[in-house]
Amino acid sequence: MSQEATCNAASSSIANETVGQVVDRGPLNLGRILTNRWFLHTVSIVAFFSLWDLLARSDVLGGGSSALARPHEVLEQLVVLTREELAELTLWGHVWASTQRVVVGFSIAAAIAVPLGLFMALNRYVNAVVKPLFDLLKPMPPISWISISILWFGIGETSKVFIIVLGTFVPCLLNAYNGVRLVEPELYDVVRMLGGKRRDEILHVCFPASFPAIFAGLQISLSIAWTCVLAAELVSARSGLGYIIVQGMNLSQPAMVIGGMAVIAAAAWGTTLLVTALERKLCPWKRKIAGL
Amino acid sequence: MTAYREVVVRTPLALKLLPILSVATFFIAWEIVVRTGVVPDTMLAAPTTVTQLLFDKFTNMDPDGALLHQHAWVSIQEAFGGYFLALAVGLPLGLAMGWFNVAEGLARPIFEIIRPIPPVAWIPLTIFWFGIGLPGKIFIIWLGGLVPCVINAYVGVKMTNPTLIQMARTYGASDWQIFKQLCIPSALPMVFGALQIALACCWTNLVAAELLAADAGLGFMITMGRRLAMPEMVVLGMFMVGLTGAFIGVIIDRVEKRLLAGIRR
Repeated sequence: MSQEATCNAASSSIANETVGQVVDRGPLNLGRILTNRWFLHTVSIVAFFSLWDLLARSDVLGGGSSALARPHEVLEQLVVLTREELAELTLWGHVWASTQRVVVGFSIAAAIAVPLGLFMALNRYVNAVVKPLFDLLKPMPPISWISISILWFGIGETSKVFIIVLGTFVPCLLNAYNGVRLVEPELYDVVRMLGGKRRDEILHVCFPASFPAIFAGLQISLSIAWTCVLAAELVSARSGLGYIIVQGMNLSQPAMVIGGMAVIAAAAWGTTLLVTALERKLCPWKRKIAGL
Repeated sequence: MTAYREVVVRTPLALKLLPILSVATFFIAWEIVVRTGVVPDTMLAAPTTVTQLLFDKFTNMDPDGALLHQHAWVSIQEAFGGYFLALAVGLPLGLAMGWFNVAEGLARPIFEIIRPIPPVAWIPLTIFWFGIGLPGKIFIIWLGGLVPCVINAYVGVKMTNPTLIQMARTYGASDWQIFKQLCIPSALPMVFGALQIALACCWTNLVAAELLAADAGLGFMITMGRRLAMPEMVVLGMFMVGLTGAFIGVIIDRVEKRLLAGIRR
């Protein structure tokens, strides 16, 4: 009887080696509850916030209330920020200012870097011209460009967008390049055998096969874009989430700093979800990779 | 007639020359643009000026109060302090999260809260807690290196061949034995990938940390160059950051090749 159930569970998969989804319900004892995943998650989150609260109330970090804010104070501060204006903008205005910079810089970089990367992989002469210059500029962290971009463009929007473009350019280009180079050669052979020309190879093999790699590059560059915009805003800005954090630092208000950090995390997470959704729509053939 | 024909693949001359030509054109164009005044020299310095300053900085303390190799040494100390701490905490944590359900259940939520926050955002809090000295910068660099370490070690363990684990179970291996003798060796290539990625993250964060709060280091040199309106110092600082980072990357690559020589990928 039990063997039949296992067979049914396994029959949904193709390979005969896969393990069927057999859920065995053991007796409900203490050990089982203690090692339950959701129980552990709850314990960990509760422990995290209570430890934070404890640290904030005690004086371990030095400086008393100006070193760390309690969790509920951060929430209150965020609510206050949505109502009251800081430098003529509410919280939503600052979120929008940062997001705008990220979106503009990210779009410019992706629009240039992805085609360039594809082109480099497809044509070795283009590769020979661009690759050495790219290798020369690649090891410099985008954040080290902040100073020179302020010298060039002043402290306005242009310098921030410039930093984001520089930071997101590298992973976009590298992933597009490697995505095409690592296409399985057998796929080309198939197209050639079926009588395809060079154009067919590029359109029907290169592009679809390199799409997942390109999207992985976009994801990486998106998280870099948030780091860059933040660093640029920390150095000089009149708006944006980095500005909230700097204000919190200058006014010695840790609640504002941590509030800004939380909003940035949420915003970065939101844009990542957007790109993931886009990826699912545009290239449904991507393999699912278990884990992270 | 032999069955095999020797095929000689020759790289065209153009392909050998083009890389050299493109780099040379880049530097010459840069020099000309500055010399002719198309770009004012308050905004960009010519490569020759930068080279001059490079040799000058080895003996001249002015105007930023330290020699070039002193700046570089301070930066390397900070970067490696944070880097090794990140490896020491991140790799065991990631490995444990990959195999032990309890470790994953406890650490995963906190990790997911910390992960999307850019390390740069921690700078103000770090200044509250540690001031602008060495510990604060090491903390920021540590945060930056931690995330790739944990993720790579975790994925490495998760990618262990399940057949091997089932076989080990059949022969009566304990959880700990499987973890020690199967999961860790099979995660090693991913772990070494983490070494490189974490180093790049650490190096980026180092510059960020030094841009905001420092009194020595390569990032500080860049900031001073901007404050003093000396573009040659900014460019020199950027090049030194890039060069040192690339150099350390090459060393780690060598070490990795040596250590992983016997492991099949």
